[in-house]
Amino acid sequence: MKILVVDDFSTMRRIVRNLLVELGFSNPLIQEADDGNAAMTMLKTNPFDMVVTDWNMPNMTGIELLQAIRAEPKLKGMPVLMVTAENNREQIIAAAQAGVNGYIVKPFTAVTLKEKLDKIFERLAASGASA
Amino acid sequence: MTAPMTAVVGESLPPEVLDLLNSADGTAFEQALDVMVRQREQHLFRALGVLARDLHGAVCRLGGDLANEGVPESMTDARNYLAEVLDMSSQAAHRSLDFVDRMRPEAEALSSNARTVLGNGGNESDPVAVLARQAQVFANACAEGLNDMVLVQSWQDLAGQRVKKVVGFIESVESSLLELVRLTGALAGREAPVEVAKVSSQDEVDRLLSEFGF
Repeated sequence: MKILVVDDFSTMRRIVRNLLVELGFSNPLIQEADDGNAAMTMLKTNPFDMVVTDWNMPNMTGIELLQAIRAEPKLKGMPVLMVTAENNREQIIAAAQAGVNGYIVKPFTAVTLKEKLDKIFERLAASGASA
Repeated sequence: MTAPMTAVVGESLPPEVLDLLNSADGTAFEQALDVMVRQREQHLFRALGVLARDLHGAVCRLGGDLANEGVPESMTDARNYLAEVLDMSSQAAHRSLDFVDRMRPEAEALSSNARTVLGNGGNESDPVAVLARQAQVFANACAEGLNDMVLVQSWQDLAGQRVKKVVGFIESVESSLLELVRLTGALAGREAPVEVAKVSSQDEVDRLLSEFGF
């Protein structure tokens, strides 16, 4: 599974990558982008199966990236997991309204990440089966 | 009707104005009112003038202090220090993650080797088996600890985001200060050279300050 990790902090990208590898995802299939613009360019030119993104980033924020993904016909079905320090009600609602698939508040554990990923894949499988 | 008015405003007014207020002469009354308002305005303008001069003086001193004395010496230095904090904390976190990357395979190899030794048999009291079992417990504990160490490094991201917010705050203080410089410069009779809202680069900031003699 090809995963794109988007965060302006290189430390956080590395941590998320580390956790994903620990959960069994293939390290070489994980790629990184440092803001929404860079992520959008990569998503348009390479096939990815999932995006894990931060909220607070320069140039293009995580919520703007999510909106851009949902507005792009080829990408609109892409699962997007938001991993962010932003935990106020309005922001969580905004992410939900923009069509986020999962929302994790930092700092988080590998167990939380696994739970959210499992839930995303369960829902996708269910919607795929019913379609 | 005149008596209650005298009771309300009479205490702060000179007797001649009071007389006019109480007189039936409408024109004289209006003139008296006019004089009173003008006197008040002049007081206000004088006070505003003093305030503007004081403000300008204070901003001049503040500009001088920022350029010459205080620690950190200037807003730019403050921003640079915070950028250094971000950089150093990022390097430290990456070094910890490098350490995890180096040690994780070591722990896995130790655990795997211990498993092989234990798989070769040997009874409970065999020192080799005892050591292998201890090594395996140790290697597994290390692997778990290393995973925790990775997660703990997220402090750098969380602390870094707060540092970035402080940098934003310093920028807003700086632009408010520049607005103050522009305003007091204009009050002191000088033309405002640039729109403060358009000041963005450090060069522009320095140029604006120097145009006002800071």
